[in-house]
Amino acid sequence: MVLDDQEVSGIVGKSVRSNADEDMGRIVDIIVNQDGHVRAAIIDFGGFLGIGTRKIAVDWRVLKFSPAGKPGGITLELTRNQVRVAPEYKRGEPLVVLGPAGPERTTTPSTDAATPER
Amino acid sequence: MTPANPTDAGSKAAGTNPTIPRAARRGRHLLEPPIGASRRSQRALDWFTFFVADVQTGFGPFISVYLTTHQWTQVDIGLVLTAGGLAALAFQMPGGLILDAVRSERRVAAFAMIGISVSALVLALWPIFPAVLGAQILHAAASCVLNPAIAAISLGLVGHAAVGERFGRNARFASIGSGLAAAGMGATGYFPVEPGGLPGHRAIDRSHAHRPRAYPGQPDRSGPGSRRAGTRAHRHHVRCAAHAPDQPLAGDLCRCVGIFQLANAAMLPLMASIVTMRSSTWATTLVAACIVVPQLAVAAISPTVGRWAQRFGRRPILLLGFGAMPVRGLLFMVVTDPQLLVAVQLLDGICAAVFGVLVPLTIADITRDTGRFNLAQGIVGTGIGIGASLSTTLAGLISDRLGSSVAFLGLACIGAAGFLLFWLLMPETAERKDDRKLLPSGRK
Repeated sequence: MVLDDQEVSGIVGKSVRSNADEDMGRIVDIIVNQDGHVRAAIIDFGGFLGIGTRKIAVDWRVLKFSPAGKPGGITLELTRNQVRVAPEYKRGEPLVVLGPAGPERTTTPSTDAATPER
Repeated sequence: MTPANPTDAGSKAAGTNPTIPRAARRGRHLLEPPIGASRRSQRALDWFTFFVADVQTGFGPFISVYLTTHQWTQVDIGLVLTAGGLAALAFQMPGGLILDAVRSERRVAAFAMIGISVSALVLALWPIFPAVLGAQILHAAASCVLNPAIAAISLGLVGHAAVGERFGRNARFASIGSGLAAAGMGATGYFPVEPGGLPGHRAIDRSHAHRPRAYPGQPDRSGPGSRRAGTRAHRHHVRCAAHAPDQPLAGDLCRCVGIFQLANAAMLPLMASIVTMRSSTWATTLVAACIVVPQLAVAAISPTVGRWAQRFGRRPILLLGFGAMPVRGLLFMVVTDPQLLVAVQLLDGICAAVFGVLVPLTIADITRDTGRFNLAQGIVGTGIGIGASLSTTLAGLISDRLGSSVAFLGLACIGAAGFLLFWLLMPETAERKDDRKLLPSGRK
């Protein structure tokens, strides 16, 4: 199978913007559950030149790909205020995923990634 | 051997420098007249320091942002940063030994500069794992000789009597260099250029044309691996120090400054992460301010710090620097207003100025008759490196388990321990009468 690179692309390192076109950081990792279903993306948020950034897990469903007017762009349907206060992502610890419902979050053991918020 | 080398470098550069027989190394300071380095040499050294700091800024924590834009995974980024950090620790003392052995520090500095340029080019052109790994190690090795070489050239250029002020100038220009580089990289970073790599590329290219204030890396850098190597390097250091019985003070200074770094290195990243969490619209600006404000403070005060060190002695100024550390930690613990946090960062500027000037100055003092200035720089540099790499791990652990306030309190306590240790271990190292007599009066 051959896919056109206009149609598909890698996602690690892609920058993410909010609906208000604010910089929301970059995707640095993807979280899947044991079935291989994508549950969340880890974004490296905030800081300056790599100092003071926070890694936050956001629900895969709040990421919108190629939104209207921005082909190839990624929009995070959360506000900076929601993202900045989220607990930091730490490997091997229970994962807190920022879901579509906003600041509400569900904590589950990381072995099972995340359970749906609603 | 150092005292002879800087003289070589100095006499070529300054023109006015009397040549001192290499044989007269021991007790050379007795022969050393107040050297009047030419304006041109002084200026050249200013700019060299400036550009070195400028370039090194690009190799800081920013590297991980840059590699992320090239679709690097966190694991790989952690690996190359750890490798670079370990190499930087391992090369400190060999770097010092090499510098002590060579005839011309200037040539070594030039080679180191070429190494750093090559490393920057490789990062920009081939951001693939083996190339970046090699570039990080090359950069670490080059940096380990470059900064000591600048200090040695400074010492050779102006002599012991006036070197405090010269180190002050170095710190000023280094700080302006890294401040401008950070500002430039921040500005380029704001243009939303996709595909990803571009802003990073540009920043690296720009920085291709940095320093004690290199902001110690992120937690990745200091995994369990680096701790192991830390111990190894420490053992090595103890051995080396034992082989240089003429400078037991270098070991003491190494311990004090290492403990200072253990308290210091994690403070800015921890605080910046809290600012990111607390402040919404202004977070980026505030974090940038927290980085740039200390740089401005260093640029403003370090020549004065150098002059004071010559007038009042090293100990009181160093005690001031060590003392500022626990105060800073306690203030970070209680201050919540983001704007006030930036003001507290002025203390970081004071610490950075004091250590940027006084550490090489004290090393110059205690190796005055030994010709082992650069080895001692390597020993102290190893202590700084170990302290810095353990710092982020330690603060990260405390902050995860017990919260950031406790982490700041812990860092403040370590800072206080550093202050006490310095108070107990280190005597005044300046030869005060000499220094006062030889202090050039015609400085700006």
